[in-house]
Amino acid sequence: MTTMWELIGVWTAVFFTLAIYSFLYGENPWFRLAEHIFAGVSVGYAVAFNLDYLRDQWVNKWSLSGTLMLLYIIAILFGILWYARFTKQYFFAYRWTLAIIVGTGIGMALRTVIFTQFLNQIMAQARLSLWVPGDLLQSFSNTMIAIMVPCVLLYFWFTGPARDKAPMSYIEKFARYTMMAGFGAAFGYTVLTRYSLFIGRAQFLLGITPNPPEARMAFYVIAATILITLFAKDHLFKKT
Amino acid sequence: MSILDKMQRIDRRYIYLAAWIFVLFPLYYPLGLPVPIGRESKAWYNYIEAIPDDSVIIVSMDYGVSGMPELYPMTVATMHHLWDNCLERNWKIIVLAFWNQGPLVFDTLLSQIDPAAKYNVVYGEDWVELGWVPGSETGMAALATDMWGQTPRDYLEDRPLSEYPIMADIRTAEDVDLVISIETGTPGLPEWLRQWNDPFGVPFIVGCIGVSVPGMAPYLASGQLSALLPGLTASGEYELLLSRPGLAVAGLDAVSMSHLLVVLLVLIGNVAYFASRGKEAS
Repeated sequence: MTTMWELIGVWTAVFFTLAIYSFLYGENPWFRLAEHIFAGVSVGYAVAFNLDYLRDQWVNKWSLSGTLMLLYIIAILFGILWYARFTKQYFFAYRWTLAIIVGTGIGMALRTVIFTQFLNQIMAQARLSLWVPGDLLQSFSNTMIAIMVPCVLLYFWFTGPARDKAPMSYIEKFARYTMMAGFGAAFGYTVLTRYSLFIGRAQFLLGITPNPPEARMAFYVIAATILITLFAKDHLFKKT
Repeated sequence: MSILDKMQRIDRRYIYLAAWIFVLFPLYYPLGLPVPIGRESKAWYNYIEAIPDDSVIIVSMDYGVSGMPELYPMTVATMHHLWDNCLERNWKIIVLAFWNQGPLVFDTLLSQIDPAAKYNVVYGEDWVELGWVPGSETGMAALATDMWGQTPRDYLEDRPLSEYPIMADIRTAEDVDLVISIETGTPGLPEWLRQWNDPFGVPFIVGCIGVSVPGMAPYLASGQLSALLPGLTASGEYELLLSRPGLAVAGLDAVSMSHLLVVLLVLIGNVAYFASRGKEAS
């Protein structure tokens, strides 16, 4: 049995989904309303989660000794310096916090990035077996990778007159086809993702299990209301 | 304006209307198009089946509500798969998130599945939810060296980790045997690779949105990534492998129809473009 609050939740969710999709028709107040409320709710949620985490850390770890307390307070003070960004007078202080964040972030990443995203990739390329017994398709795929990767790397070799002559001119052409194939695959997957998002919302609007079935009625009513108001707004503006 | 010009300048609102029709129609009237099982979903299924007994598995919810339409079905299917084998294989499952909306997504999952009632798994003994870990990549690195310090309390019951038997021997990344990350972006695969996979040798598998696949494929080919479940289509295949059809299977007809629409529009645009160019030349 659906409670009144659950029903209100479903109708609200349907309204916001359709209000956001109303942008497909054009810029309109329903979309603006939903957009602003969404932005506010997202920020509020993130702030609440952060404060909750800070409290947990203080209670369970940093309040246990005087030294830890001091370190925690210093960290919080540096955190507050983010807000110095909004004043011209203390803008410089914001850069201290930024420097710490950027410095630790880059330091953390650089520690292993050379292995994970560079050397390991080169080693994998070098180890590629061109012939996989019993798997013709994989053999073909590996052979293509062995040809395509060096060609694309050479494509970005910008210096020297050799670029315009054979065999570089052929390599360049082949590399271009390789990259076009890559962009095509990326486009296909992008279409899949965008439509998947839409399909997920459509399943919600139609109340397909495990989504609440009450959403379907809300969908019909709210969609009709939003469409009528959009057409009416267009009509009125044309007349005036 | 000639018909060829009109074909190249279709009002975008008609295209959106067509998209609604092509998606809603198969959801109203399922077409039952065949679903061949792909290599990725089979590899994902086999990988989970082959996880050794007594393993400690981290499931990381690295996406927010905006990624739910594509990733939620695979999250549900994966959790069914894990909880189903949890007792028999003595797996220990730790759910956490590096995206702050991850716990919200998992709340939705728990409102639809009660693991205690369905699989007899005990919270705190067989599985635990640690909630959100802030700090992105820095947080990941900190979690790898001190899990108790990074998440002193669990998310669901808000009690200290010392009260949960499952966490007694799990302190660092060295105590973890597998990471399953279901993700939409940053932090995600590169950060897991840099902070967990390379320094500690923790194997990991990734479920991701389709748009991320071209960027992840090289890691799968190099063996740094052990399995990849890409997008809604693969989720549907995985649901079928588990014999548990869910939202992904229900959406596969709509996926096929929507792609058909895109192909049709590309064809219309190209035919009109080349025809008008030929006309101009003549």
